[in-house]
Amino acid sequence: MTQSYEVFLGCAIPSRFNNYESSMRAVAKELGIKLIDFDGASCCGTVVLKSIDETSWLSLSGRNIALAGQRGHNIVTPCNGCFGSLKDTDHVLHDDDSYRKKVNAALKPLGLEYTGKVKIRHFVEVLYDMKDEIEKKIVKRLDGLKVAFHPGCHLIRPSIVAGFDDPELPQKVDELIELTGATSVHWDRKLSCCGSPLLISSEEVATKILREKMISANGAGANCVVTNCPACHTQFDIQQLGLKDDEGNSIELPALFVTQVLGLAMGIDPEPLGYELNRVPLDPIKQILGI
Amino acid sequence: MTESWGQFKSFDGKKFKALDAEFTNEVSKLIGGQDLTTCFQCAKCSAGCPVSDKVNIQIHEVMRMLLFGLKEVLETDMVWLCTTCYTCQQRCPQGIEITDILFGLKNLAFKKGITPAGYIGARQSLYDTGRLYAPTEWERDDLGLDPVPELNIADTKKLLDKNKLMKLEVEE
Repeated sequence: MTQSYEVFLGCAIPSRFNNYESSMRAVAKELGIKLIDFDGASCCGTVVLKSIDETSWLSLSGRNIALAGQRGHNIVTPCNGCFGSLKDTDHVLHDDDSYRKKVNAALKPLGLEYTGKVKIRHFVEVLYDMKDEIEKKIVKRLDGLKVAFHPGCHLIRPSIVAGFDDPELPQKVDELIELTGATSVHWDRKLSCCGSPLLISSEEVATKILREKMISANGAGANCVVTNCPACHTQFDIQQLGLKDDEGNSIELPALFVTQVLGLAMGIDPEPLGYELNRVPLDPIKQILGI
Repeated sequence: MTESWGQFKSFDGKKFKALDAEFTNEVSKLIGGQDLTTCFQCAKCSAGCPVSDKVNIQIHEVMRMLLFGLKEVLETDMVWLCTTCYTCQQRCPQGIEITDILFGLKNLAFKKGITPAGYIGARQSLYDTGRLYAPTEWERDDLGLDPVPELNIADTKKLLDKNKLMKLEVEE
């Protein structure tokens, strides 16, 4: 069964985390998931445009959904920000007649219409559907990898919009990670926001939130953080550099994308998985990863 | 990165203007605002909020201010320090779409010019380039990735112009 999707990359991944795109493509290829380039997109708007003007956000994001619909495709995205924005737009336009009319009036001169028929999925959702196939492809075990998995907010909340996993006890991506022999540790700040959306308004508060998360991850005995979102990863792989606790001890942990973990265990060559672009040094886990 | 937001003084002892029922009605009509008036102040929203200990007015207090029709709510730092994590909305026993209401409050504050500078820059970048961040080409070359598919900047601009995105402040 070949699945195909238009892949909505967003702008954070090509800007900061090309290793996420590269590792996603490598894993997709290995599993036979066909990714079609998303031509002529608008920005997803994310929470930034939604914060400024909701009608502009619904128009841009609605345009993206309508474009894929016109080409007869469903959408997959590896970014929680794009996922949240597209799903939330779909939710509002589906339920709210007045906004749907308003957005469709704006889209009409562009030759587009929101019809509500396009499926929007996160890449990890697609992976979870293929859990059995992934399990069969594991050729390299990552025993000893203790993962603080950070699902990120918009993958799971609000659950009526996201519709992927239990919003208070998510475990689907953890199940995928544990297929590799790695352990997904329990950490008390797992469900808490990474703070990334606040980088635009207050880096100080964003960093306070990140420190609370990292103290929790270290306390739980994790030796790395794993994410499925470039916005969250900005906190864990850029803002985290040099982070210390109140006593001045380093609380830095390597940060990997879920596709970098699964890809390696599936026997994919390390080169396309892009580890050399990970900014927080991977030294503490290099031996486990065998890279 | 950006100048810091959230340096407001405490609201303790602050005198408020007369209650404005019309403002409560206005907020009830925002996306997610339909159940606003069912809030019974259990404060479960603030209990799970990642910035409760970092703001001058917590989210359950914002909800109370909205019911009291206090427009000063737009000046609380909770509005722009909300991380949009949706924990409050997920957990609200009354099903109030709290985070979505806060997005609406951000829209209202933006029109009044109450906004962190980063949002002004982000709006300009989005309007000029159709994106928030530019691709890093050398990394893509190294990884053998194809160029990022072209964005449709012209249509993006048409939609943003139609919604007067660059003139929101003068609308008031």
